[in-house]
Amino acid sequence: MRFYWILLGMMITTSAWAGDTRTSNILSEVDDLWRGKSSHAIATLNIQTQHYSRSMKLESWSKGKEKSLTKVLSPLREKGTMTLKSGNHIYTYLPKTDRTIRLSSGMMMSSWMGSHLTNDDLLKESRLEDDFDARISFEGERHGQDIIEFTLLPKEDAAVVWGKIVLEVEAKRHLPIKEVFYDEDMQVSRTFTFTGLKKLAGKIRPSVLHIAPADKPNEYTEFIFQELTLNIPISDSFFNKSALKRHQR
Amino acid sequence: MNILKLSLRNTSRNKQRAAVTILSMAFACSMMILFSSMMAGMVVGSERQVVEMNMGDIQIHPHGYLDDPDIYNRIHHSQAILTQLQNMGINASPRLYAFGLMATHATSSGASLRGIDLHREKRVTKLYQHVAKGSWLDEAKPKAVVLGKKMAATLGVDIGDELIFIGQSADGFMANDIFTVGGILKSVSDGIDRSGVFMLMPTFRTLMAIPEGVHEIILRKPNPHSDLSRLTEQIKQLVPQYEVKNWKQLMPVVARMLETADAQTMIMLTITYIAVASIILNAMLMTVFERMHEFGIMKAIGVRPWQIVQMIFAETIIQALIASAIALMLGWWVSDYFAVHGIDMSIIMDGSVSIGGLAFDPVWYTYITQGVLLTPIAFLIIIALLAVVYPAWKAAWVNPIDAIHYQ
Repeated sequence: MRFYWILLGMMITTSAWAGDTRTSNILSEVDDLWRGKSSHAIATLNIQTQHYSRSMKLESWSKGKEKSLTKVLSPLREKGTMTLKSGNHIYTYLPKTDRTIRLSSGMMMSSWMGSHLTNDDLLKESRLEDDFDARISFEGERHGQDIIEFTLLPKEDAAVVWGKIVLEVEAKRHLPIKEVFYDEDMQVSRTFTFTGLKKLAGKIRPSVLHIAPADKPNEYTEFIFQELTLNIPISDSFFNKSALKRHQR
Repeated sequence: MNILKLSLRNTSRNKQRAAVTILSMAFACSMMILFSSMMAGMVVGSERQVVEMNMGDIQIHPHGYLDDPDIYNRIHHSQAILTQLQNMGINASPRLYAFGLMATHATSSGASLRGIDLHREKRVTKLYQHVAKGSWLDEAKPKAVVLGKKMAATLGVDIGDELIFIGQSADGFMANDIFTVGGILKSVSDGIDRSGVFMLMPTFRTLMAIPEGVHEIILRKPNPHSDLSRLTEQIKQLVPQYEVKNWKQLMPVVARMLETADAQTMIMLTITYIAVASIILNAMLMTVFERMHEFGIMKAIGVRPWQIVQMIFAETIIQALIASAIALMLGWWVSDYFAVHGIDMSIIMDGSVSIGGLAFDPVWYTYITQGVLLTPIAFLIIIALLAVVYPAWKAAWVNPIDAIHYQ
C-alpha cells in the first residue's frame, strides 16, 4: 500500500542513518511501525481535484523495501489494474488491454492513478535514507502536543526534487503527525498529515494519510487504511512481472 | 545602325574569342541562377515545412495553454468559431492534445497525442501527404494511429504492429487502450518526430474522456499573398477571449532565420557575383586590349572616340545577350531538374538536420521564380557593361600612333 510505503520512505531510517543514534532510533521506530518484513493491506484512496473526485479501493502487498504490489478492487472500471514496484522499476498491468507495461522515465513525473502522488514518489520513497541527512530541529510542545521535529536535507550529490523535508513526530509514541515537503526554492510544495489513530496490526497507528498540494488549495488525496497485517509469509516470486496476470483473477 | 552591324561582324570575326567570352559569362550566370534557386528553395521549403506540415498560418489557443498545456484548458465553442472562419473563406481545423505513454511489450516512449479532424485537417495542412510508410488516418480504422519517424524507431514498430497507450484521462481515470500503427510520417519537426501520435478526434475523445472542446484551432490564409499580421489582427478581433498567434510569433527562431535568409542570399549572391564580375571583366579587358592595334587604325582613319565606345558597348551587349540566353536555358534546366529531383544532402548532413526545433528534409529542392531567373541575368548585363567601361575608355582615347604600335 502506497500509504505505508510513503510513511516508510518519509520516516526514513535504518541503522545506516549516520549521526546521532537517537535520531536514527526514532526514525527507525517510525519506520518499523509501518514496514515489517512484509505486509498486506486494504485501503481506500480518495482523490479530490478541481476537475474530478473519485474514490478507489486498493489491496496491496509488500516485501522488504523494494517490492510491492497494488491492485485496484473498485471501481469496476479500473478493477484489476495493478502497479508493481520491483527494485528500480514500476510496471503497470492493465486489465482492459491485458498487457503489462514498464513505465519509462518519461512517465515518472506523471500522476499515479490520478492522485497527487507521482510514479517517482513510489520509486523514491524507500530510498530517502540514501538521499537525505536527518537531524532533530525542534523538541517540545507545539499545538498542545509534545513533539519532535526532524529536518531532512538532501545530501550534496543526491538527485532529488525536494529542497527539504520537515517531519513532526509525537514525542511519546513516536507516531508521525505531519510531514512538509519543500521544493528547491524552499517553498512548501505539499503537506502530508497523519490522522485517524486506530489499532492496526496490533498497535495504534495513524490510519489516514492526507496529502495536500500547496499550489492547489482545494485539492487533496487521502489514503484511509482499513486493514493492515504485518509480517505475513509471502514469496519473492509473488512480485514477479510475469506473475501479474496470475494475480488478475 | 552601322555601329551595330560593325559590332556584329567584329563579334563573329574572331569566333573562338567570342565563344570563350560568351561561354564563361553563360556558365557563371547559370551557376548564379542555380544558386539563387537553391536559396529560394531553402526559404520556401522551410516555410512550407512549418506552415503546411504542422503550424498552419495562425493558431488559436485558450489563454495560458501555450505556457501550460493543461488538458482542461479548452476552447469550448469551437464549432461556432469554425463556422465563422468558414464564412470568411478561411480554412480552419480543430485539434486536441494529450500526453502519455505509448508502449509495446518491450519498450515504451513518451507520447504527445494529437486528435485531429480528418476532413478539416486536410484543407489546412499537408501532413496527410507526408506519410513515409503505411497510410494516413482513416475513418474506417478508428484504432489506427500515425506515428512520428523517430518515435516509430524508438519503439521498434512497423505498420500493423500493436501499441498500448497509458495516460490519465480528463475524468481522473487511467486512459488505456490498444492501437495499431497505421502509418509512419516522414521527418516533420523535432517534436512530432520524437513523440507525435496522430489519431482521429472521436477516438481521442473516447480515450481521454473529453466529450467537447478543443485545445487548438489552426487556420490558413485564404490566399498565399494575404498579409499575415493583418489577418492575425482580424482573427484577434473575432475571438478576443482566446490567444491568437501566427506562426512567426510561435516560432520566432525559425521566422527570424527565414527573414535573414533573404539577407544571407544577398550576401552570398554578391560574393558569387563579384567572382563572376572579375571573370567578365577579365574577358572584356582581353577582348579590347588584344585589338588595340585595330582601334589605332580605326582612329587613324577618322573614327570618333565616341563611336569606338559605342561599338565596344554594342559588342559587349551582343555577347552578354547571347550569354544570357544560354545561361537562362542552362540555368533554368538545371534548376528545374533539382526542383523535381532535389539534391540529396543526406550523405553530408547525416540524416535530417533540425534548426530551432524544425526538421529539415535532407533532400534540398530548388525553387524557381522570375526573380531567381532574371536577377542573375540583369546582373550579368550590368556587370558586363561596367566591366567594359575602362577598356572602352582606354581604346577610345588612345593615341593612334601608340595604338598602331601597341603590342
